[in-house]
Parts: sequence; C-alpha cells; structure tokens
Amino acid sequence: MSGKPVYVLERSFDAPRELVWRTWTEPALLARWYGPNVATIVHRLEVKPGGLWLNEMRMGEKSSYQRTEYLEVVEPKLLVCLMSNADADWNVAPNPMMPDWPRTLLTTVRFDEAGGRTAMRLTWEPHLPSEAEIACFAGAIENMGKGWGAGMDLLAELLAELRA
Amino acid sequence: MERTGYDSSPGGLDAVFAALADPTRRAILARLAEGEASVNELAAPFAMSQPAVSKHLKVLERAGLIERDIDRQRRPARLKGEPMAAAVRWLEEFRQFWAASVDELDALLGALKRSEHARRRK
Repeated sequence: MSGKPVYVLERSFDAPRELVWRTWTEPALLARWYGPNVATIVHRLEVKPGGLWLNEMRMGEKSSYQRTEYLEVVEPKLLVCLMSNADADWNVAPNPMMPDWPRTLLTTVRFDEAGGRTAMRLTWEPHLPSEAEIACFAGAIENMGKGWGAGMDLLAELLAELRA
Repeated sequence: MERTGYDSSPGGLDAVFAALADPTRRAILARLAEGEASVNELAAPFAMSQPAVSKHLKVLERAGLIERDIDRQRRPARLKGEPMAAAVRWLEEFRQFWAASVDELDALLGALKRSEHARRRK
C-alpha cells in the first residue's frame, strides 16, 4: 500500500485571490456555485476553526445534507475542513448510496495567486477511516487519477454491451 | 440472496478494478455479455486450461461481476451488472459534482469581476 489515498482537484481562475476567497466564505456566493443544478441552501456558515457549514441540497422532494467543520482558516489562502455526509438533524451519517464511502473527508483548499490569477487546489482524504472506507476511496481515486483512462472506458463499453 | 444497491463485500471497488485489470478476465466478461457460458465454453477460445479459467472466474465472482449457478451440473457463469454499474455511477457522481461546481464557480467569478468593473466605472 502506498500510504493514504488522496484525491486532488486543481483549477485556475481568472480572478484575484480575495474574490475567490469570498466565494467560499460568503453564504450567498457559496450557494450560487456549490451543488450545480440543485437548490443549495446554506443553513449555517461560520468560517473559523471549530465553525460549521451546514448545507442542504434540494433535488425535487429529496434533500441531501452535508456537515462541514472548519479546522484551519487562513484568509485568503487556506481552508482545512472535515466534510461529512449528514442526516436531516446534521449528525454525521454514512452515504445512503455508498455505505463504504468515507463518512468524513479531510478537505484542504489552497488558493495561490500569480499574475492576477488564482490557482485553487482541493484535496480530499478519508478522515479516521475504516478499512472498507479506505478500500472504497482508494479504488475510486485510483481510477480518477488515471484520468478516466482504460479502466473507465472499458467499464463504459461493457455497460453499453450489457444494456444492448 | 438478493443484493440491493452497493455492497462492499465481496464486490468492493478495489476488487472490481483489480478484477478488470486483467485482459483475459475482460475477454471473459465480454464473452459473458453475449450470454451465460460454462467453464468449458469459456476455456475454448482462450487456449487455457479449465482450472486456469476457473481461477479467473473466482476473481470475477469475488468482485461481484459474475454469478454462477450452484445447482446445475455445468455451473454456467453469467454477468452481474449491478456492482459494476454502482461503482461507475458513484465515481461519475463525485467527479461530476465537483467538476460542475467548479465550472459554476468560474462563471460566478467572471460575473463578480464584471460587476466590480462596472461599479468602478460609474
């Protein structure tokens, strides 16, 4: 085994870092981009160590809930938080779709500014995971890391054959 | 026993992807996509011994990708699509959620910049 599995997402924005920071820390702005094509309701957002972001995403009749606790906040360059799936009472709960998906992901968001642009780097790793959670997450990111290469193409082909 | 939804054991994601990493096993899956087959029938096109094919079938079975009849004499294997489909759906969902969110963020930042410029020009 090669240590803990980590999933990384990087993106560069044509905007100064202070502006990007606001989109993560002001409820009205956060709700506008987080959770595409669903109604995102930010019930609470306290961006400070120990503070909570309680987020509801409404898809028709159904809602999914996420509870995020901030561990480290360094304006405007760093957010470290624990992102969890939650029940309607904001208790950490397993993912109903995938029970072995890590309940809590240690999430680090880093913002670096260069030449008026902001590079954002997001990393997720399982927080205090069970063996099954590690296996599930590692299996997932192994394939993401390969850029949805041969394995995923093959799965898609096989599934297409199965449906035919 | 009927399995519903995603089940981590034995068909966890790591087992699924390990099972799919082997070209012979992928060929076996492709053959099974056409319909169930016995070990004999599967061994023929691969110029492989029956025990070798049985080994591959065990890996695929453990990953939850195929199932085999216990009662019948020739124990035909057949594809089981659900664990694989669940793995694909979930990977797709997580990746797409964040990719699409970040696209939205990009668009939002563009709009915020434009409105700030407009404000300054007034």
